[in-house]
Amino acid sequence: MNPPRPGDAMLTDWRDAAGRFEAEIARAVVGQARAIRLVTIAIFARGHVMLEGDVGTGKTTLLRAVARALGGAYERIEGTVDLMPTDLIYHTFLGADGRPRVEPGPVLRQAEDLSVFFFNEINRARPQVHALLLRLMAERTVTAFEREWRFPNLQVFADRNRVEREETFELPAAARDRFLMEIGLEAPRDAETRRALAFDPRFHDTDRLIDEVAPAVLDHRGIGGIANAIQHAVDAAPAIEAYVVALWDALLRPAEAGIRLPGIDMAHLVQGGASPRGLAFLVRAARVRAWLEGRDWLVPEDIRALFPDVMAHRIFLEPVHEMRRAEIVPALCRAVFDTVPAP
Amino acid sequence: MRVVAILFLILQAGVAAAQVRSVELRVPRSFGYFLGDLLQVRADIALEPGFTVQRASLPKPGPVTYWLDLRDVAVERVSGGARLRLTYQSFYAALDARRLDVPGFSVALADANPGGAITSQAEIPPWSFGVSPLREIQPEKRDDPADYLQPDGRVSRLDPEPAATAALVLVGLALLALGLLAYDRAWFGRRRGRPFARAAQRLRRLAGTDEGGYQEALRLIHRSLDETDGRRLLADDLPAFLDRHPAFREEEEALARFFAASRRAFFGREAQAAREIWPWPEMQAALRRLAAAERAA
Repeated sequence: MNPPRPGDAMLTDWRDAAGRFEAEIARAVVGQARAIRLVTIAIFARGHVMLEGDVGTGKTTLLRAVARALGGAYERIEGTVDLMPTDLIYHTFLGADGRPRVEPGPVLRQAEDLSVFFFNEINRARPQVHALLLRLMAERTVTAFEREWRFPNLQVFADRNRVEREETFELPAAARDRFLMEIGLEAPRDAETRRALAFDPRFHDTDRLIDEVAPAVLDHRGIGGIANAIQHAVDAAPAIEAYVVALWDALLRPAEAGIRLPGIDMAHLVQGGASPRGLAFLVRAARVRAWLEGRDWLVPEDIRALFPDVMAHRIFLEPVHEMRRAEIVPALCRAVFDTVPAP
Repeated sequence: MRVVAILFLILQAGVAAAQVRSVELRVPRSFGYFLGDLLQVRADIALEPGFTVQRASLPKPGPVTYWLDLRDVAVERVSGGARLRLTYQSFYAALDARRLDVPGFSVALADANPGGAITSQAEIPPWSFGVSPLREIQPEKRDDPADYLQPDGRVSRLDPEPAATAALVLVGLALLALGLLAYDRAWFGRRRGRPFARAAQRLRRLAGTDEGGYQEALRLIHRSLDETDGRRLLADDLPAFLDRHPAFREEEEALARFFAASRRAFFGREAQAAREIWPWPEMQAALRRLAAAERAA
């Protein structure tokens, strides 16, 4: 065995903490082990997360539980059609004394200690709001009240439901590219969990449920440092580098890679996307997964486990196929992994 | 071949005599020819070195007399001179056995020596042959003129049995070959390949001692697993793979060690550790067992 490096002990402690974190969240959100694991990976990869799913599948509950277990300041806002960017920065009202007052809005209220910003129903907000969010996510800064505010620990969690299309605004591609992952949340499949969710009174009161989650399992101020350490500690062999590049090629030019999907002209399926930033995010997240599984080197399974959630929303199809995106993109991802040889 | 030779030594005065040494005429036989027979005549002309027969001076094929045609004339060079091959055809309807005279002719000779301009003549002498009648002069009296015609010779009937049997056997062989070809090319549906058997064969050619050979061998097994399952198989897929292909369940332990070794070798940068997990002889044995399991499946 290699002699333990100084950082190794710290990495191991944090891994145990991450395990406790996942266990705490699993107390509140049952039957979503995969989503919990992905959110954990996103936290340690310092990436923003979009949750997507039907109404009532536990998106908000999951995010509230994560915010509580993560510790640090937490703010949330609901997306509406009339929400304006300034509503995030400040709000004005008449005070008890009858004088107009200007107070910081949700983004600035906790000042620079803000660690989780939760945007509910993000697709109901207007593009102006998305634009503000773009900077908040990419640079973790905002200019307000004549100065620049920095949020070094900020992570944005957003959710949207995919049922309604009226009075909603599709996120611009640039904003979607800033999210590390888009996690699809579905109601649990197994009968036991479904029964519990429907009949166990514990799951009916969300506030009490969230209160059961132990607060601040992770030290949110240390995550930035440990995230960096993970990226340096986990090794990517040349074989894995070649594998990721081959996946990328196959995704952008599926016809040349020999991928066939029934009823689709593969030469005119993918318009573009799968940006280099997306690929960098993928490798970043894969390293975190390797670390969570106790390895200090990457394996193809790390890439495969995260690929749909990290890459799918970055693929842009030709407009003809865009309406059937929900079935084409997962099939394409599966075909890519069925075609590209790992070692 | 009986040779009837008429030998002439032509001695002529002057320069010309010096070039032709002799002319010898050979006919297979000099008698017993019937209407329509071909006569092959050979004339050997012995010449001085450097002299050749001028083709233009040869007689043209065609009628010689009303009863004799010259069918063909050919010249070939032989050592010491030239040889004429003359083919005549006789149309003489003889009533009794008699001799017929064929006239001679002369051919021109040219000097092929450099600077030579001498020409001379060679005389092919006249000759004769004996013809015979085909039928009696006064045939027996018949009432029906058709009775004068003689029947054709009879031939025995051939037995078609062996040829038919041979054809039948060959048709059977052809169909069998077509069937084999169809199987080989998988014309009727997919033929189950045997990727592990192929991998085991190719493994024999690999050297297990160097690192490249070991990795190549791991790759061989990866590709065999991929082909068996129809998708790329990663280490985590092993339980699902065994569910889909229960024939390999016996080899679960070997496959698990293969995946562990492959991970180490390709992604962990620890080729030596991989070898310790799964040594070369064990790999060979496991691949043989996998090929056997594949046959049994």
